[in-house]
Amino acid sequence: MHYIQVKNLAFQYEKEPVLENISFEVNAGEFIMLTGENGAAKTTLLRNVLGLLKPSKGSVQLSNKNISGNPLIVGYVSQQVAAFNAGFPSTVLELVQSGRFQRGKWFKRLDEYDKEHVRRALESVGMWDMRHKKIGELSGGQKQRISLARVFATDPDLFILDEPTTGMDVHSREEFYKLLKHSSQHHAKGILMVTHDHDEIRHYADKHIELIRKEDSPWRCFSMDSCKELSKPLSSSR
Amino acid sequence: MFFYGFMQRAFQASFLISLIAPMLGLFLILRRQSLMADTLSHISLAGVALGLLIGVNPTWTNIVVVIIIAVLLEYLRVVYRTYSEISVAILMSAGMAVALVLMSLSDNGATLSINQFLFGSIVTISEQQIGMLSVLTLLIGFLYIVFQKPMYVLTFDEETAYTAGLPIKLMSVLFNVLTGVTIAVIMPIVGALLVSAVIVLPAAISLKLSKSFIGVILIGILIALIGSFSGLIASYELGTPPGASITLVLVILFGFATISMHVLSLLSSKRSFKIKKNS
Repeated sequence: MHYIQVKNLAFQYEKEPVLENISFEVNAGEFIMLTGENGAAKTTLLRNVLGLLKPSKGSVQLSNKNISGNPLIVGYVSQQVAAFNAGFPSTVLELVQSGRFQRGKWFKRLDEYDKEHVRRALESVGMWDMRHKKIGELSGGQKQRISLARVFATDPDLFILDEPTTGMDVHSREEFYKLLKHSSQHHAKGILMVTHDHDEIRHYADKHIELIRKEDSPWRCFSMDSCKELSKPLSSSR
Repeated sequence: MFFYGFMQRAFQASFLISLIAPMLGLFLILRRQSLMADTLSHISLAGVALGLLIGVNPTWTNIVVVIIIAVLLEYLRVVYRTYSEISVAILMSAGMAVALVLMSLSDNGATLSINQFLFGSIVTISEQQIGMLSVLTLLIGFLYIVFQKPMYVLTFDEETAYTAGLPIKLMSVLFNVLTGVTIAVIMPIVGALLVSAVIVLPAAISLKLSKSFIGVILIGILIALIGSFSGLIASYELGTPPGASITLVLVILFGFATISMHVLSLLSSKRSFKIKKNS
């Protein structure tokens, strides 16, 4: 089942084209990594997918429903989220709990089930002990972790992640990729993740989209050649 | 002083404003719209001048003008996202210019009344104003309780809010309108020049004192009550304008909170340095 369907997408800032001929799909249970050199318009592509920007050509379709027929819930971690307002008056727990609001809790109290999700999300990124800290007092890496905890607390059907492991150490990154792989394999989550850690993730992701600069374009414009299936080493049933 | 009817109404009004101000002020600060309150208060003057010129109750013309501008402000905020202060500068000057032109077209009475709106007056607070302020307080309190979760996410990050399916444009416009109406109602009491300070300062002070969202609102209400009651008493005893007195008390509290928190953080970092050294 397609959660995201992008067909012949092109996007331009003012008159300058930055993306052309982009077509791919993200299905339920699929983990796709999106790479490209610095300035390859990876974030721009994600913002088009999310509807924050409007493509100049082509189309983006986000499914309304998940595989169970319920409304599709999208969890997004933006590249700048770790740089959020340091003065924002919130504890770690309050922020991660806000991830549950999307689960039909905008106007309802969080119940024990929600709180359990929040606890597990915070534990999965090793931040449970810091739940009463003010978010402005955290380091960059810790802020990144609670952004991820927030999206795990939401338990979305589709994860859209923009360089989510910036500032994390190797061990934490590996744990995070394992968790994502588990979510896609066993809980049918769709995952589209922008990353620079190509070599680390290739053992976990199912497909790889690389944005490549179009040599024939006078602009700094990027396209993709294909959405490659990634081969897994036999031992890596991680 | 509490036996005078006008002082009783002044305390009632201050109490109600103290409940509203931290709720609106916190969202204004976090959405980097602190100056929007100032812009709307300047625009309010044009609304008042219009009412006085055409002979309609200025509060009503004021509310209508402020609502229109509050919607326009949201549009300009999006258009000038990178330089949002441009919209503030344009509308603030435009509001003042329109007010001055409209005043020059009306007789001297209008000029006298506009002075009252510029600096505020506790003597002129009417039962009707207390009634309007009570309705507004109930409305804002109700909206805060119902929409606190969507507003929390919207304030934290608009893109996250959009992805979560919130109608961010509608919410932003409604928030601006509510701020505009509040300013229009409060302005005759504290004055156009200081209304934004009265709204923003309690939240700015409590932001330094609390680490949780709800804590900022509750401490903000307490700060606003202390500031407005002591400001009113000072105003009565010294014969100073109420808006200015309240603002000065709040500014002093802001300075005190800033210095205290700075000293506390210095002490705690010294202590943790000593503990590290000893271990």
